[in-house]
Amino acid sequence: MASTSTSNGPNGQSTTDDFTVKAGLAQMLKGGVIMDVTTPAEARIAEEAGACAVMALERIPSDIRAAGGVARMSNPSMIKEIQAAVTIPVMAKARIGHVVECRILEQLGVDYVDESEVLTPADDQFHVQKDEFKIPFVCGCRNLGEALRRIKEGAAMIRTKGEAGTGDVVEAVKHIRTVNAEIAQAKAALASGGELAVAKLAREIGCDVELLKKTAELGRLPVVNFAAGGVATPADAALMMELGCDGVFVGSGIFKDAKTPEHAAQRARAIVKAVAHWNDYGELVEACIEHGEAMRGISNAGMKPEERMAGRGW
Amino acid sequence: MTVDALTPKQITVGVLALQGGVIEHISLLQKAAAQLSSQQSTESSSTSTPQFTFIQVRTTAQLSQCDALIIPGGESTTMAIVARRLGLLDPLREFVKVQHKPTWGTCAGLVMLASAASATKQGGQELIGGLDVKVLRNRYGTQIQSFVGDLRLPFLEEEKPFRGVFIRAPVVEEIMTSGSSASGNTQDGSEAGQGGDEIAKLKERQRTEKVEVLGTYPKPQGTGEGEDIVAVRQGNVFGTSFHPELTDDVRIHVWWLKQVVERLR
Repeated sequence: MASTSTSNGPNGQSTTDDFTVKAGLAQMLKGGVIMDVTTPAEARIAEEAGACAVMALERIPSDIRAAGGVARMSNPSMIKEIQAAVTIPVMAKARIGHVVECRILEQLGVDYVDESEVLTPADDQFHVQKDEFKIPFVCGCRNLGEALRRIKEGAAMIRTKGEAGTGDVVEAVKHIRTVNAEIAQAKAALASGGELAVAKLAREIGCDVELLKKTAELGRLPVVNFAAGGVATPADAALMMELGCDGVFVGSGIFKDAKTPEHAAQRARAIVKAVAHWNDYGELVEACIEHGEAMRGISNAGMKPEERMAGRGW
Repeated sequence: MTVDALTPKQITVGVLALQGGVIEHISLLQKAAAQLSSQQSTESSSTSTPQFTFIQVRTTAQLSQCDALIIPGGESTTMAIVARRLGLLDPLREFVKVQHKPTWGTCAGLVMLASAASATKQGGQELIGGLDVKVLRNRYGTQIQSFVGDLRLPFLEEEKPFRGVFIRAPVVEEIMTSGSSASGNTQDGSEAGQGGDEIAKLKERQRTEKVEVLGTYPKPQGTGEGEDIVAVRQGNVFGTSFHPELTDDVRIHVWWLKQVVERLR
């Protein structure tokens, strides 16, 4: 858990009621693990393991990668079955810029929409104007400018993009480190040059001045920030917490290459434990033992640029 | 002996930090404590305010340092599963129901402090208990039905409404009457308790304390007449459906810290 508070209220920020409710749910997910699931049975495994939410999608990212073709919003019937199976929040993914997929997910009553680079983008110019929706959105980022552009559009929660479906944590680490370094830069700019310096930095990284100033004042993103994209083991999850993330998305890491449903359940329990006790190495030893063999994974170093999902969106 | 001599000098308040909105509570507790101490210093220079310490609680050892506890919002299923694995569930039950230390649950925390819950996950979920109530989880539906609404809370003794933030919120759907047969023995029991051991006395006190409804909110259209119960107290245990920690209004935190001081006297 990060050391400073987020979003509204405690920081004395004024936010609209609408945004309080959207960002508030993300605040309630902190310190938790959100797991990708493709069936009601997988959703139940996640819930029993202590997941704080599930992401309903047709294929886990590693399988989307392997399958190729166009990846789209999941079938509503499958999302409904998952909603019926669990009591924890259910999230679902829409393609970048696909306003109608987002409206359909809103109509379905999912708890959060992930406007996600894991799916094939639908619009090469615009992300969805998210503040026009009643449903909250989470979006990926590689750096501070991208995070603040998404928040300006109305995202109430941010995650690193990482590189989904690889089981290689290096990109997620790079993205959170970049965000952290740029927040430090913004703080330094505000301290040394005041608002003018913040405005200059905002031009450089392409984001809203007020949001950058707020970020500099808070010393962190103004919404909850989770890790995602390549987190495969309890140690990976704890590493992302150590780097200051508020919680973790685990995509392929639970169910990919799991030998049995019980093995997947063990992995899921182990990652929940690792996030709850990210700085207790005794507990982490236990978590790693419980986790067992991890997904095989694809090294980022050998990937061609066109194989990367993180480059989708801007 | 003056009243002041009874006031504890040091009070440690924990926030259960297994998952959820932890630092939001700690932040508002700090503001509330600052307000209490400034109020006290203007009211009477001879009255002392206790020194408050606020800690995050993840272990039994940390719980044992606490005089009072907040169970925050989050996912009640996650908290129960993590607490079970840590061996924290029984120490929490002891803290709330045997030691009768002041405990406040918000949203998922209210679910944890209820003695029964409906709309639980398949197969049910473990609770701590302490409030003789049954809660209905996710009463308003999914996130799309989450809302902010004005609450009139008489215990705040102010006209100004409290902005209640309800996020996938539970409500109290039933006040259980299982304690009522025990309360028939109240008179004898509490007198006998005077000379008995402390735990018996404390248990007796619990039985005499009824569930008080401290706040209600109109039922949404199409879901019945009247009001839902959204704030309750039973002795040392307080529960709210909504999230005061997601506002910058410290009034409930100030009120609760005063209650804590009173109960620890």
